[in-house]
Amino acid sequence: MIGATEVLNTIWIGLIYMILALPLTLSYRTTRILNFVHINFITIGAYIGAILSALGIKNIIIAIFLAFLVNASIALLDHLAVFTPLIKKGATELILMISSLGLWIFYKYLTYAVIDILSLLTRKNMFSLLVYLTVLPDTKLGNIIISGKFLTTILISGAIVLLLYFFLIRTKLGKAIRAVADNSILAEISGIPRDKVMIITWIICGGIAGIGGLLWGLFSIVTPEVGDSIILQIFAVSVIGGLSNLLLTALGAFLISGAENIVMTVLNTTLSIPVSFRPFIPFLTLLIVIIIRPPLGAGGGLPYRFSIIKKLRIRR
Amino acid sequence: MVLGFDVLGFLISWISIFGIYAILAISLNIEVGYTGMANFGKVAFYALGAYLTASLTIWTFLLLHNLPYPLYSVEAIVALSELVPQNPLLNIGLFISMVVLSFIFAGVVGYLITYPTLRVGPAFLGITVLSFGELIRVFLRHLKPLGATKGLAGVPHPLAWIKDPMLRDGIFAIIILIFTFVIFLVSERIGNSPYGRVLRAIRDDEIAALCLGKHVPRVKATMLFIGSGFAGVAGALWTYYAGSVNPDMFVPVVTFSIWAMVIFGGLGNNIGALIGAAVLTFLDRVSFIINILFPNLPITPDYIRWMFTGLLIILMLMFRPRGIIPEKPIRTPIWTYLDKEGEDHG
Repeated sequence: MIGATEVLNTIWIGLIYMILALPLTLSYRTTRILNFVHINFITIGAYIGAILSALGIKNIIIAIFLAFLVNASIALLDHLAVFTPLIKKGATELILMISSLGLWIFYKYLTYAVIDILSLLTRKNMFSLLVYLTVLPDTKLGNIIISGKFLTTILISGAIVLLLYFFLIRTKLGKAIRAVADNSILAEISGIPRDKVMIITWIICGGIAGIGGLLWGLFSIVTPEVGDSIILQIFAVSVIGGLSNLLLTALGAFLISGAENIVMTVLNTTLSIPVSFRPFIPFLTLLIVIIIRPPLGAGGGLPYRFSIIKKLRIRR
Repeated sequence: MVLGFDVLGFLISWISIFGIYAILAISLNIEVGYTGMANFGKVAFYALGAYLTASLTIWTFLLLHNLPYPLYSVEAIVALSELVPQNPLLNIGLFISMVVLSFIFAGVVGYLITYPTLRVGPAFLGITVLSFGELIRVFLRHLKPLGATKGLAGVPHPLAWIKDPMLRDGIFAIIILIFTFVIFLVSERIGNSPYGRVLRAIRDDEIAALCLGKHVPRVKATMLFIGSGFAGVAGALWTYYAGSVNPDMFVPVVTFSIWAMVIFGGLGNNIGALIGAAVLTFLDRVSFIINILFPNLPITPDYIRWMFTGLLIILMLMFRPRGIIPEKPIRTPIWTYLDKEGEDHG
């Protein structure tokens, strides 16, 4: 029923969800902006892989550097040109969120327009591409063949997660980022240059999301909608971490990916629930997490009590 | 027929689409502008209304005539095109009942969405509702009985018994405008009533409103019920206007066009929402016509229009956050009294 395929899928999809959701959480925690441009980072990262392989450059290291650079500069540009002026004018969290939505739509259709021009120039359909980057060779483990893409993804994303972890825990800069994330005013009083920390956070978050998109593009057909197609899962993973806890976010990535692959297969074989119900899994998880464990501090909501809970308490 | 396209047809299609988007913009305005709830999933409720209308209308027609075809099949479309013009009473009856049903269905779903999102802040509400919109779209794309990616076509037009297509579309455009006007009046009444003051209190300071004894959760749920219901009505009208529905009509960019309309016109201000809807739907129609007149442009005009929509949101927020028509104080009887007093005493 549950074969090696499901388990392997859970691992690599979980790792990719992890390196896509961690930057979203980190940037929200540090800057208090829910950054929807994250979705564009994924698309652009995937397209960088696709365009490079179409040009004949198949080295994955170059692709990774390029994805990091391009997306980091987009994130930096957003921060300097849009978010900083808005924050200086005293914009609320809601206004910042709406402006990031505007940026999302702008970059999305900018990508579409650029691809339109590229298709015209190259006389090829650039709206759905495959990525051919050099990856590790396939290896045989017992009687299971593990594909090279899978190994490469595990290595790269594992390395990124470890690097991020040590960066945040051990280095001075990482500690500064965490300090700003916990209490930005206190951090500024203690002499941490808040603006510089924000810039570095944006660079890291944009870059890692771009690499995540590149890796996601290895496994799927690259279209301009590639980022939009996984926002359900990424948001669900981030909400499990409450948009604040990085460790819980990392666990949530495997939870969602496991639920999507293993639980869906079980439901499909035992109860014959059609696979079209798969997108309900991340959404239901999101709802359950919000109901059971409402993230009060990060969300800024009010701790309303529901009448059922009140009744239970009186009975006790 | 001077410029290669007919002006009357352009006007009718613009007025119809303006009416539908004005309903959506007003419904977003009473949620965001009045109550301060960031609804990033407006398109979901629009889609629910549209799909409910399309599927139930076709299903009823097929059931009444004992035709055993699936809803999305070509046989059904062919059979419907012959059956539809026969019974005006059935068409109009279905139209009215579908609008009411869409209001109730989309409204109830919106009401239920507030339950999990009550206790969380704007970021989480935004994420949940945006995810809900994507969920509905992805689910509809895979739902076989409702035609999956192809959607449903050949939805019976309520005025199909009128022979002249231009006259039919014209009358339907006027019907849409009547709906828009009614919804505009209802929203104005809500906004300028004591209840409207409660809504603005919640928007400006939720804790203060709670401390003054207002039932904030219930008020928020009611507003999301009304707003989503209006979006459902817009969906129903769109289905009858377009004659078909498919999942790709309900992409997130629709939500953001509506946001751009509301932000352009000014939050908390229904007339602003109408102006925003008029301007952006006009651009929509113009890009549609450019698309027809010049089919071989290097960049599809729609992409430019949507880029402009995103840019408009950012620029308005940066340089004119209150919109082109800023929100005015609520007109209550006490103001007229005070104005008169001021005149009397010089």
